[in-house]
Amino acid sequence: MSSRSRRLGRVNWPGLLTLALLAGAWEATVRWSLLDYQYLPAPSAIARGARTLLASGELIPNVLHTLMVTLIGWSIASVIGIGLGLLLGLSPTAYRYSMTSFEVTKAIPPITFVPATLLIFGFSLRMELVIVVYVGVWPVLINTIGGVRGVPGELLDLGRMLHMSSWTRVRKLIVPAAVPEILVGLRLGLTLCLVLAVVAEMVGNPAGLGHALVRAQQALQPEKMFAYVLSAGVLGITLNALFRSAASWMLPPPAGGPEGGTP
Amino acid sequence: MQASDQPITQDAPTADRTEPQAQVKRKVTFQCRNLTVELGSSEGATCICRSVNFDVREGEFISIMGRSGSGKTTLLRILGGLLAPTPDSSVRYYGERVEGPPPGVITVFQNYAASLLPWRTVEKNVALGLEGKVGREEARERVADALAMVGLGKRAKDYPWRLSGGMQQRVQLARALAMRPSVLLMDEPFGALDAMTKTSLQDELLQVYERTGATVVFVTHDIDEALYLSDRVLVLQGDPSTIGESLPVHCSRPRHQIETKQSEGFLALRRKVYEAIMQRHE
Ligand SMILES: Nc1ncnc2c1ncn2[C@@H]1O[C@H](COP(=O)(O)OP(=O)(O)O)[C@@H](O)[C@H]1O
Ligand SMILES: [Mg+2]
Repeated sequence: MSSRSRRLGRVNWPGLLTLALLAGAWEATVRWSLLDYQYLPAPSAIARGARTLLASGELIPNVLHTLMVTLIGWSIASVIGIGLGLLLGLSPTAYRYSMTSFEVTKAIPPITFVPATLLIFGFSLRMELVIVVYVGVWPVLINTIGGVRGVPGELLDLGRMLHMSSWTRVRKLIVPAAVPEILVGLRLGLTLCLVLAVVAEMVGNPAGLGHALVRAQQALQPEKMFAYVLSAGVLGITLNALFRSAASWMLPPPAGGPEGGTP
Repeated sequence: MQASDQPITQDAPTADRTEPQAQVKRKVTFQCRNLTVELGSSEGATCICRSVNFDVREGEFISIMGRSGSGKTTLLRILGGLLAPTPDSSVRYYGERVEGPPPGVITVFQNYAASLLPWRTVEKNVALGLEGKVGREEARERVADALAMVGLGKRAKDYPWRLSGGMQQRVQLARALAMRPSVLLMDEPFGALDAMTKTSLQDELLQVYERTGATVVFVTHDIDEALYLSDRVLVLQGDPSTIGESLPVHCSRPRHQIETKQSEGFLALRRKVYEAIMQRHE
């Protein structure tokens, strides 16, 4: 990954061409009844559905709800993940005592907690937030621990050799050295938060894209349903791109080694 | 073959760069007695060095040589207070037991890429050790001086990863110099550089050495480099290793890449060091 290629604003024309061809193929197979399912709309129909949703004012509030929950949940998760990660990464004692619990909990797919959370918190925004925060903490936590513990021995020696206090060492050497890995965790967390927000809305909190999508399905309105599906995709791409450009603006290109901004 | 400190005290001070005091016996900067190092893995401890004895005198340029894995880096880390030897070993810096990095002792690490901070510019890297210790104005001055000394004044605002390997190692040297060290510990600092860069950095180091009067302990696996730079070469031998030879280098300073390296004294020493390193391994 060169420092240039991950800058925002580069348009991948061949990639877009492939995408357009795929959409065209989909349109054609549906139009000519090569694929003939009652509830599989052609892209043109989905676009019409999206226009209807925009005009009726249904789309934007749903997108905003999901966006808001994702961002709030992700922010809380990031604070917890980084804080806890620094503690566990810096303190061998804390690490030794907690790692077994973490390994066990981490092994459980977060999605399996959705029904339990629903039972505990009911059909509510709180239920959605709890799920989103929970799933967002993991990658941030794991990468922060990894980043802190993976700081090269040379830097630790350097800090001691220059007679830095332990606080200065953490602030000037360890945390900055861990930043690239933490950023990778944050980005992964952001994606997972969005996914689990939609899932929570499908089964729990009656709001946002997930809920609207399921409602459109139950109302047998496939164009609207797919319009919501696509909106979720666009939201994901947008969040990811914003995060990337924020991250690369924060760091001078390869500033933190090769993981800097690679997927 | 037990190396004692005997031959060392017999050495006449060889460097004339402090001419007025040349005949005066220099103070002992580092004194190592019965230095034994055991490094532990989970299976148990391995003895790396056993009963190593040597002195480093003030203002001396001393090289440590030995095969790969003979404990050169380990020895340097002990002098730098980054690693503790066994409790019955004695390592003293101006008479004080070394427990942690002694004041005024600065290490230049072998792996420059890992020891420079990629998120800081060259000048901020050089300033790292001064922050919070000296005033802003003085720090700026010292950083500029140090960068000028290694010929990097023009790259102050650049990031280290934009520089070549040789320049990165110069940045590390500048960071050390900004601390105004009394002792420089250098671990194969030019080992990863090409021959041309290496010779020019050697000459720069010698200039810095003349200029600052620092004591230098220099680890290298390059015999020519050790002889070219040093007043004395220590050779580690055996496993666990100990000082097998302590060879004074009586070549006059300033030294010259071609003349010095072709002088008879140099060539004879070269052979001696080579044999010392190869001994017991045939
Ligand atoms: N942390 C460690 N634990 C155990 N053995 C080590 C450790 N670090 C180095 N060693 C061993 O100590 C020996 C000397 O290492 P080192 O001082 O790096 O040698 P050199 O710099 O001369 O190549 C090597 O055999 C190496 O494998
Ligand atoms: Mg080494």
